[in-house]
Amino acid sequence: MKILIIEDDSSLREIISRGLHSEGYVVESASNYSEADEKIAGYSYDCILLDIMLPDGNGLRLLEHIKSLKKSDHVIIISARDSLDDKVTGLDLGADDYLAKPFYMAELSARIKSVLRRSANSNGNKLTAGNITLDLHSRRVEVDGKELTLLKKEFDILLYFMQRPNHIVDKAMLAEAVWGDHIDAADNFDFVYAQVKNLRKRLDASGASLTIKAVYGFGYKLTEAAQ
Amino acid sequence: MKLFHRVILTLSLGLLPVMALWAALFYFAMVNEINDETDDVLGDYAELVMRRALAGKPLPAPNNGSNNSYSVTPVDEKYLAENPAITFYDETVYIPEKEETEPARVLKTVFCDAEGQYYEIKVATPTFERTDLLETIAYYIIGLYIVLMLTIFAVVSLVYYYNMRPLYRLLEWFDKYRPGANSEPVPDSSSVVEFRKLNMAAQQAVERAEYYFEQQKQFIGNASHELQTPLAIIGTRIEWLVNNTPLDEQQLEELLKIQRSLSRLVRLNRTLLLLSKIENGQFPEASETDLAAIIRENAETYGDIYEERNILCDTQLPESFTVHMNESLATTLTNNLLKNSFLHNIQDGKVRVTADGRELTIANSGERALDASQIFERFYHEGNPESTGLGLALVSSICRYYNIEVGYSFEEGMHRFTLKFPEEIKR
Repeated sequence: MKILIIEDDSSLREIISRGLHSEGYVVESASNYSEADEKIAGYSYDCILLDIMLPDGNGLRLLEHIKSLKKSDHVIIISARDSLDDKVTGLDLGADDYLAKPFYMAELSARIKSVLRRSANSNGNKLTAGNITLDLHSRRVEVDGKELTLLKKEFDILLYFMQRPNHIVDKAMLAEAVWGDHIDAADNFDFVYAQVKNLRKRLDASGASLTIKAVYGFGYKLTEAAQ
Repeated sequence: MKLFHRVILTLSLGLLPVMALWAALFYFAMVNEINDETDDVLGDYAELVMRRALAGKPLPAPNNGSNNSYSVTPVDEKYLAENPAITFYDETVYIPEKEETEPARVLKTVFCDAEGQYYEIKVATPTFERTDLLETIAYYIIGLYIVLMLTIFAVVSLVYYYNMRPLYRLLEWFDKYRPGANSEPVPDSSSVVEFRKLNMAAQQAVERAEYYFEQQKQFIGNASHELQTPLAIIGTRIEWLVNNTPLDEQQLEELLKIQRSLSRLVRLNRTLLLLSKIENGQFPEASETDLAAIIRENAETYGDIYEERNILCDTQLPESFTVHMNESLATTLTNNLLKNSFLHNIQDGKVRVTADGRELTIANSGERALDASQIFERFYHEGNPESTGLGLALVSSICRYYNIEVGYSFEEGMHRFTLKFPEEIKR
């Protein structure tokens, strides 16, 4: 899987590149419009991460250009402007997703996977990790082929972890994703703790090969259960 | 006090002494003129009597129906020397026919008959009463004053309002003016130099204000945008460290603390961006949004989150409470108030959401009243360092955007936030 990062900030470019590389992607990067244009013309990428604010040109124009080349490259816009207009324009122009800065690597990685999974279209509705299979449409969970019944919020939490295996998921981020954006200023996340604890119990009891591990203070991580 | 009232008042007060002075002059002129005329008549009468006396003809009967009276008394030369030859004066005389005393004008003079005997002749004619005249003149002057004032009032109001039209147009324009709201230009249709200058000054002041307002908005917006990339870098790098490097507990704790501060910064920046977007009017699309549904759904969520506080949430809302506004802003608006009502609550407290017509009230238990003049200000937070201090600023900003009246009060141990939606949200 080949990914092109178009981002003018070298530090951000480098850390994204390093992060994605460690997940097994082949990563190329471009720091400006012309460099990106050259790479896009010469090569094919599975996914292009596009910062729409570039020093020598608007990223949206680059997106138009990519789409006009009729290539199958998927584009995820990363933008400092969390504006609905940009988002709508970007998606209208054919971008697959829109991610506002600042974001977590875990989030970016999940979005890339989701875009690539949609395009592969094989088992697009199903997520598998360890011996857990999660069906997005019917909202059913199977562990080792046996159905595991979960409450709505527990399912949402598990889904979130399944999209980000081996990534540390911040408590606040999890709360926002499952309960909604407006949770952001909640002064405690005990409610997250209670839900995750229940989910972990159910997973462990069902004999899942994965479990949710608490990472000191930060949050949780879906990882191999100790045998 | 309105300018027009001030003009009328000064005019009335200014005219008062003028009218009084004029009344006094009029009175004295009148008295003079009447005396003059009377003196002429008295002179004629005295002459008639003198002639008759000198010619030896019978004198007029004292009671001749004319109310005139006269007397002729012989005087000596000494008297003559001591008194002026002719005097006019006012006196009250007794009129026997009327059996009353009346003010009279008197002429006193002397004449000498053929024998060289001097006589003093005194003729009197009843004349006007000074107090009566004064009174009459006063009445007329007051009447004149009133009529004059009414006339002046009518003329001045016509002239005033006609000539001051440009001023009122300008004032009306100022009333409608909202900074940054893309108002119409300052009206400029007057040919009067002063008004043109005033309009021009207003236009320039407004342009300057608009410019700074725009600059400030842009600055906040740009600064917030520029911060996003470095924030993303710090976040991803911390994440990298935690995910990919062996760290001991102390290092993890330090990173966690950095991460927590960073989250706050990210939240703060996100809210500032949202504020700046609202103020730039970047939420154009509006739809019929049901606040009752949003509140019901989120009240449940917050109930879950603050479960350990055992807060009783009582939502007395109609089936639906629809407003025409941007859905995401509607959610932000109600959620901020709702979240506060749970967050700033007490153990075993209450949250009550009620609706009355176009008014929505979110109330919650609290210990003491907040400073209503400050709570909607940016970065005002009472004692809670974790809060961004922007929640209510956001609420107030959204309300301003949609002309929603937002109010705060503290009654019976409850903080009450009231939203009064206009009949028709125009935007």
